[in-house]
Amino acid sequence: MTGEHPALALRGLAKSFDGKVAVNGVNLDVPAGSFYGLLGPNGAGKTTTLSMAVGLLRPDAGGAWVLGHDVWADPVTAKQLLGVMPDGVRLFDRLTGAELLAYHGLLRGMEPDVVDQRAAELLDVLALADAGRTLVVDYSAGMKKKIGLACALLHGPRLLVLDEPFEAVDPVSAALIRDILQRYVTGGGTVVFSSHVMEVVQRLCTHVAILAEGIIKRVGTLEQVRGDRSLEEVFVEVVGGRTATGEELAWLAQ
Amino acid sequence: MAGPVTTPAAQARPVSARHFVRLKLRVMGNNFRGQGWRVALFLVGSLLGLWFAVGAFFGLAAPGLIGNDRYALMIAAFAGGLMVLGWLVLPLVFFGVDETLDPARFALLPLPRRTLVIGLFAAALVSVPTVAVLLALSGLVVTAGVFGGWSAALVAAVGVVCGLLLCVAGARALTSAFASMLRSRRVRDLAAVLLAVVAALLGPLQIAGVAAIQDTDWDRLTGLATVIGWTPLGAPWTAGIDVAQGRAWAAPLKLLITIATIVALLAWWSRSLESAMTGVASSGPNRAKPEVTGAVVAQLFPRAAGWLRRDRFGALVAREARYWWRDARRRANLITVAVVGLFVPVMVNFGGQGFSFDSTEGFTPAGSSSPVLASLSMVFVGLLAAVTLANQFGFDGSAYAANVVAGVPGRLELRARITAFSLYILPMLAVVAVVIALVLGEPTWIGLMAGALVATYGVGLAVNSFVSVLGAYSLPETSNPFAMNSGAGVVKGLLTLLAMAATAALAVPMVVAAALLDDVWLWLGLPLGLAYGVGAALLGVHLAGDVLDRRQPELLALVTPRR
Ligand SMILES: Nc1ncnc2c1ncn2[C@@H]1O[C@H](COP(=O)(O)OP(=O)(O)OP(=O)(O)O)[C@@H](O)[C@H]1O
Ligand SMILES: [Mg+2]
Repeated sequence: MTGEHPALALRGLAKSFDGKVAVNGVNLDVPAGSFYGLLGPNGAGKTTTLSMAVGLLRPDAGGAWVLGHDVWADPVTAKQLLGVMPDGVRLFDRLTGAELLAYHGLLRGMEPDVVDQRAAELLDVLALADAGRTLVVDYSAGMKKKIGLACALLHGPRLLVLDEPFEAVDPVSAALIRDILQRYVTGGGTVVFSSHVMEVVQRLCTHVAILAEGIIKRVGTLEQVRGDRSLEEVFVEVVGGRTATGEELAWLAQ
Repeated sequence: MAGPVTTPAAQARPVSARHFVRLKLRVMGNNFRGQGWRVALFLVGSLLGLWFAVGAFFGLAAPGLIGNDRYALMIAAFAGGLMVLGWLVLPLVFFGVDETLDPARFALLPLPRRTLVIGLFAAALVSVPTVAVLLALSGLVVTAGVFGGWSAALVAAVGVVCGLLLCVAGARALTSAFASMLRSRRVRDLAAVLLAVVAALLGPLQIAGVAAIQDTDWDRLTGLATVIGWTPLGAPWTAGIDVAQGRAWAAPLKLLITIATIVALLAWWSRSLESAMTGVASSGPNRAKPEVTGAVVAQLFPRAAGWLRRDRFGALVAREARYWWRDARRRANLITVAVVGLFVPVMVNFGGQGFSFDSTEGFTPAGSSSPVLASLSMVFVGLLAAVTLANQFGFDGSAYAANVVAGVPGRLELRARITAFSLYILPMLAVVAVVIALVLGEPTWIGLMAGALVATYGVGLAVNSFVSVLGAYSLPETSNPFAMNSGAGVVKGLLTLLAMAATAALAVPMVVAAALLDDVWLWLGLPLGLAYGVGAALLGVHLAGDVLDRRQPELLALVTPRR
C-alpha cells in the first residue's frame, strides 16, 4: 500500500517571514528507500523547508505527505512514521543522554524494555555511554548532534529527516553516522538530509536536490544532477558563487 | 613592511553609555518589527503605566496642592521607601528584569568593566517603568516647590532623579547577585534564605501601613518617617521636603547617602556581572553521583515519581519533574512561591488587627484574624502558585519541538505538566495551610483554609493552561533566571495580572462561603474546595488541550528565542 507512495512528498510549500520569502513553492518527491541530499547555500531555505515537511512550522501554502499521510491534516499517523533531527533547536538538554533517550522512547509509545535495550545499544555505538551522568547541555556540539540522531532513530521510523547531521562531528563519528544511515537505508528506510558537505553527499546519496533562494534549482538522481562534472562545480554554478579577488579585505594582511 | 599589530586598537573610538542606550533602543525597535500585537501590547502597557503614574503623581503632590505640609515628609518617606522596596522585590518575585542587552554578549568585546557597567546601567534606565516612575515621583517636586520655592523644588528634582537611579541600580544588583548565586551550586540554598529575608522586609512595611491607618498617633509615624528619611530607602525622596521645612543642611547629606548607595550597588553589580558574562547557561545541580548503571528508563524517573507508569504520560511527568529542579529559572520560581507563599499569609493574618507598630501588649496572635481574611490569604497563595505556569512552555524554549515532532496530544501534555508541578507544589501548599492555621492558633480552620487554597490553585491551573497556550513568549537564553526580553516584560506583566485577576474572580465563591457559612464551612470547606479545584483544573485542561492541539507549531514559534 505505502509502496505506491513516495516516502516524502512536498507540494507547493511556501513560507515567508515578515514579508520576506524564505521558501517559494517547493515540490519534491522522495522515493521510498532513497538516500536524499538537500543542498543549498546559507539561507537558501533548507531548514525552513524541512521544518514544514515534518510539522514544526506551519506553511503559508502547500502541503507535505509522509508515505501518503498528510502531515498537516493527519499529523498523528504521519509523525509516527517520522524520525526528525532539527537544526538550531535545543534538546531537552537538562537530562542526561540516557534520560533523554528514555524520554523520547516512551514519548513515542515504545515498550520500556525495548527502550532500555535500544538506548543502551545506541549510546554504546555512538560512544556516548562514557558521558554517564553528564547533562546534555554540557555535551560538546558534536556529541549533541549524535544524541540528537540517536533520539531520531530510537523508535525505528520509516523516514528520517535530518538537518545538517554532519555539522560539527569529527571524522570518526561522521564515518560512524554514515555507516548507521547506510545500514538504515539498506534495511528499507529512507533518509532525507540537508548538508553543505559535497563530499559526503556525493558519497552517500542516491538522489540530490539543490535549493537556492527558496526554489528547487536542480533535482534528480545523483547522476542526473551531476552529469560528468563534480557536484561541487554544479553547485557553484547553480548558486552563482563569487570568489574573493584579493582586492577587498586587504587589511586582513598585517 | 607589516604595520604594528596594535594599529586597530589605537584607532578605536571610546565607547560611551550613549552607545549602549542606542543599542538598546535599536534592539527594542527590531523586536517590534512586523509584530503588530507586540506593539499593541506595548502601547497598552505603556498607557496603563502612564495612567498609574499620573494617579501617583497627584497623590504625591497632594500635600502641596492642598497646601498642608503636615504629612509631606511622611508621604515622601513612605511612598518613596515603598517604591525602592518594590523595585528590589518585584523583579525577583514577579516580573524579572529586562535583559534586552544580555551582559554575556559583551564578554568578547575589549571593554573596561566600568564602561560596561555604566553602559548597561544607562541602557537599563531606558524603559517604560522608569519613565512612569519618574513621572509619578515628580509629584514630590511639586510639593517641595509649593512649600520651599525654587530651591526646594530643585533639590527635590535632583533627589527624585537620584532615587530613580538608586531603584534601577538596586534591581540590577540584586537580580544579578541572585542569578549568580543560583548558578553556583554550593550556595544555592543561601539564595533561598536571602530571598526569604528580602520578602521579610515586606513585613515591617506592612505593619507600618496598617498602623498608619489605625493609629491616630501621627507623631509617632512622623518619627518613623524621619528615621526612614535617613536611610537609603527614604533619603532621596525627603531631601526636597527638608529644604522646604527649613532643614537645608540635611539635603546634601541625604543626597550623599543616596549617591554612595548607588555607587555601592553598581560596584556590587559589577562584581556579579563577571560571573554573568563568563558563566555558561546553568546546568543546575549536577553533583557527581555514583555511576548509575541501571536501565535507561529507570534513570529518567526521579524517586518521587517512581509510582508512574512507564508510558507517555509517565515520561512527560518525569521529565517535567526533573526540569523543575534542574532548570535554574524554574527553581527560582519554586523558591519564590515557597517563600512568598509562607510570608504573605503570616503578614496578612497578623497585620489584620490588634498588632500595630510597637504595640506594648506584645505579640498576641490568637483571634487576630478571621476566616474571611485567612481564606483571602490562601487565595493569594493559590494564585501565586498557579501563575507560575503562565508561561510554562516558555521555560522549554525550542526544546518543545521534541514534543511537537512526537505529536503529543494537547490534553496529555497539559495534564502531565500540571501533575509534575503539583508534585512540588501540593506538599508545599499543605504545609502552608497547616502551618498558618497552627500559628494562628486556629487548628479548626485547616479545613477551610486548605479548601480555599486547593480551589484557587485548581481554577488557577485552568486559567493558566489557557494563558500558557495562547500567551506564551520566549525567554532569553541567558544564565540569569530573572532575565526578560524587552517588550516581553510588558507583555508578561499584563498576562500575569490578567491571569491573576481571572483566577481571583473564580476563587471568590470560596471567600464568600467563608464569610456567610460560619461553622458549616469549617467542615464543608475542604471537600467542596477540593471538588471545585479539581473539577476546574480538569475542565480547563480539557478545553485548553483542544486549543493546544490546533496550535502546536504556532506555540513552538512563540517560545523559540530569536537569535
Ligand atoms: N524565524 C524566522 N524569522 C524570520 N526569518 C527567518 C526565520 N527563519 C528563517 N528565516 C529566513 O529564511 C531564510 C531561510 O532560512 P533557513 O534557515 O531555512 O536557511 P538554511 O538553508 O537552513 O540555511 P543554513 O544553511 O545557513 O542553515 C533566511 O533568509 C532566514 O533569514
Ligand atoms: Mg539550516
